[in-house]
Parts: sequence; structure tokens; C-alpha cells
Amino acid sequence: MQMIAGFDDIPRISNVRTQQMALWITGVSLVILLIAYAAFPGFWPPMSPQLSADEVATFYRDHTAWIRFSMITFNLCGIMLLPLFGVLVVQMKRMTTQNQAFAYVFLSATVSSSTIFALADVFFATAAFRPNRDPDIVLVLNDLGWLVFVAPVGMALVQLAMLALAVYHDTSSKGHAPIFPRWVGHFSVAVAIAMAPSALSIAFDSGPFAWNGVISFWLRNIAFGSFVVVMLIALRRAIHRQAVDEGLYE
Amino acid sequence: MSVSELTPAGRNADAVGPASKRDLNIVFWIFPAFFGVFGVVFVPLLRVIPPPRPDVGYDGMIAFFDAHHTTIHIGVVILCLCFGGAAVANGYVAYQMKRMSSGPVFAYVYMGGMAVGVLPGMLLVAICFNAASMRLDRPPRVVGFLYDLGMLSFNGQLGCFSTAYLAFAIAILLDRNKIFPKWLAYLTIWQIVTEVMATMMWMMPSGAFAWNGSITFWLATAVFAIWLNCQGLMLKKATDSQPAGTRPPD
Repeated sequence: MQMIAGFDDIPRISNVRTQQMALWITGVSLVILLIAYAAFPGFWPPMSPQLSADEVATFYRDHTAWIRFSMITFNLCGIMLLPLFGVLVVQMKRMTTQNQAFAYVFLSATVSSSTIFALADVFFATAAFRPNRDPDIVLVLNDLGWLVFVAPVGMALVQLAMLALAVYHDTSSKGHAPIFPRWVGHFSVAVAIAMAPSALSIAFDSGPFAWNGVISFWLRNIAFGSFVVVMLIALRRAIHRQAVDEGLYE
Repeated sequence: MSVSELTPAGRNADAVGPASKRDLNIVFWIFPAFFGVFGVVFVPLLRVIPPPRPDVGYDGMIAFFDAHHTTIHIGVVILCLCFGGAAVANGYVAYQMKRMSSGPVFAYVYMGGMAVGVLPGMLLVAICFNAASMRLDRPPRVVGFLYDLGMLSFNGQLGCFSTAYLAFAIAILLDRNKIFPKWLAYLTIWQIVTEVMATMMWMMPSGAFAWNGSITFWLATAVFAIWLNCQGLMLKKATDSQPAGTRPPD
């Protein structure tokens, strides 16, 4: 389908176009992030909290180049997932059967959770900056990086909860169909349930709940990655419906 | 139908919203619930309020983590799960500010200042204290660094909040829709005054102006407690008085 011709300067068309571009930026960034994720030696396998200071320092010394590559890439592209969340805010604000409070809270939580990811990256990258640093300092930087990266899921939980609540409150009325199908709400709740146990990584240094554990690390990251992929698809459809509803497709 | 005749849902200033205010009530009640959890985490569990002394030396700092590492772990787990409540409070205040006649600028400033402040002003102390508590055998100089970084970022993070308070106060004073009462603006100015006085803690390791001092901490905390309760009560009033079926202008 083609956008109707001759209306290029209409704000409503650029609104749809910018949302589509935002999804593309997110999709490309996600691919780059997956490469960085695959390249970070500290994730294969995820580093154990039980490693000693000397082991951690040796690890950073032996893998300096790959750690730097992956952390610089995370640094540059991690926050480039934000456009997806920006589109989510726009779509949540289009929901007619609610008062938009969920959308503003979602936006506020999105800003806070992004700053947290950025901080984790800085700790990892600083640990790799001087490979000959005192091992006790490398250890504490590595600890801070892992703690910040894995445990603080509270902001993501609020984002997911607000999205789910918004979807559940978005019943069709006055001829407007819901922005998202209801399964998007169920899916958000499922992702929240998968991510929540990571907070326990604070209290464990081995097993599934430790920061390198099956639940705290793998389940959490796979759940978040799936959320981004699934929302790319759901938002693509929502934007398409918006364009059709507004008569922008011929 | 021509493109210009189509009006997307919820774009206009007085767009008709839903008759139900259930979403507003859900978001509002997270405000007191979150600050209840906040009190439990920071007072009996993390032991950040009342603050441990800045003038104790490495032995005192190590003794502090020795004595409290278990409750610190519990507190940080709860905080990591629940700190998104801060985003709910911030986002919802910003939402109500958007209903003011003074325009959206200060609502966005409030949300931005508060959303950035969550990391240095709330999360970082928990992460630092947890990093110190998870390895009690760290060298004393590393423990001392985590102790100072945690306490100074928690009590000494001034600008994010001052900016948000300034935006809140000015927006209330200029608003003619009477979303919040004018006296709340004057009370908010006292919050800025206490933040300015708290700058002293970056230079004073002991006494009334230290991070545990009678002026920089106790006076500031008393003002904060009064202000927060008033803000919460007035937020309830704003929620109740918002006419059903309205939403803020875009």
C-alpha cells in the first residue's frame, strides 16, 4: 500500500512516518546489540559472582579488546531502543477509553530505566579501561556493573504493568477499535513475571537466582529481548491501522 | 472524505475521555503505597535514614556493613522490585501538571528532573551498600569508597530535585485551573531552600552541615516529609476533582 500522494506536508502523515522510522531504528539497533551481546566474553558464560578479585582482573586483562568492543557498542546503541518506547507512548496516548495517565507514567519509567542501563555499561567499560588496575578495584567495578545490569528490574516492571493496564482499559467504544489486541497485555504481564525474580540476584551468589543464573540472567534477558521483537511487530500493525483509520492509505 | 476532516482520537485540548476514572485511581494509589515501601527499605533495612556517620573512619564503616549486611540485602531486593513506584509518582504528578493552564513545559521539566534523579538519588546508594555487603572482606579503602559514594549520591543529589521543585512551584503559581493550591507552591520553595543548604555536605565531614547533620539532614528530612504528605494529599484532591471524561491537552 502507498501513502496517498500530494499530502506530504500534512502533520498526520509525518506522525505516521516518524513512528515507522522509529521502529526501523529500534530494529537495526537490536541487531547491533545482539552482536555486541554475543561478543561480550563476560556473558559466555555469564561471570560468576564467586570469582575472586584476581580471577576477575585476569579476565579483564585477557579479554580487554572484546570487552571494550562490546561495551562501546552497548554504550552507543543500547539507548537506541528508546524509539520503540517513544512509539509506545504515542500509541498509548491514542487510546480513547482512558485518561492517559498510564502513558505518562510509562514515559517517566522509560527515562529512568534507560539511565540505569547506561550506568551498568560505564562500570563494565571502566573496569576494562586500565587492564593493570588493582584487582580489588576491578572486582568492585565488575560487581557494580553486574548489580546494576541485572537486579534493578523495578522500572521495567512499571513499564510492563502500565502497558498491560493500558491495553486492558482500552476497550472499543464510539467506533474506535482497541489500539492493541488483548494478547499484548497478557504478553506484558508474562514478561514482567519472567523479569521480576532477577531482583533476587542481590541476595544469591550461586544457583538460578544469582546474577549469572538461569532465571536472573537468561530468562530475564530473553524475556526482554522477546518483548522488543514482539512489540516491534505489534506496533508495526498498530501504526498501519492508525494510517488506515486516518485515511492515509489509498 | 478528505484527510483534513479526519481527527485522530484524543488529540484536542478538550477531547472527550472516558467516563471512568479507574485508571487515575490505580495510578494515584501507587503513590502512597510506594512511599510506604520506600520508608521500610531506607529506614530499618538499608539503614540510610537516619544516616550512618561520615566521620567514623574505615573501622566504623566496616563495622556498619558487618552489622547490617543481611537487612541491606533484603532492602535492596525490595527496592530493585519496587523502585519503579517512583516513576509512577513522578509521571502522575507530571500528568496532573499537564492539566494546568500554565502549559506543559514545567510538567515535562518536572518529569525529566525526577526521572533522572531516581538513579543517583535513590538507586545508587542501594547498589553501593550492596556491593560493600556482598564481600565483607574487601580492602577497607574500597569499603570506604562505596560508603561515601552511596551516602553522598543519596543525600547530595540536589540539582535533579531542585529543578523539579522549581518547575512544580512555578507551574502552580502560574496555573489558573487550580489543579494544586498555591500554598503547595510556597511549601515547595522550602524544598529548594533545603537542597541549597545541603550543598554544604560535600565539604563538611562532620557537624550540623554534614550528610547526617541537624540542618542538612534532619531539617531537610522534616521539610521533605511534610512536603511529600501535602503533595500526596493534594494529588488525591486533584484526582478527585478532575472531571470524568477529560484528559490533559496534548
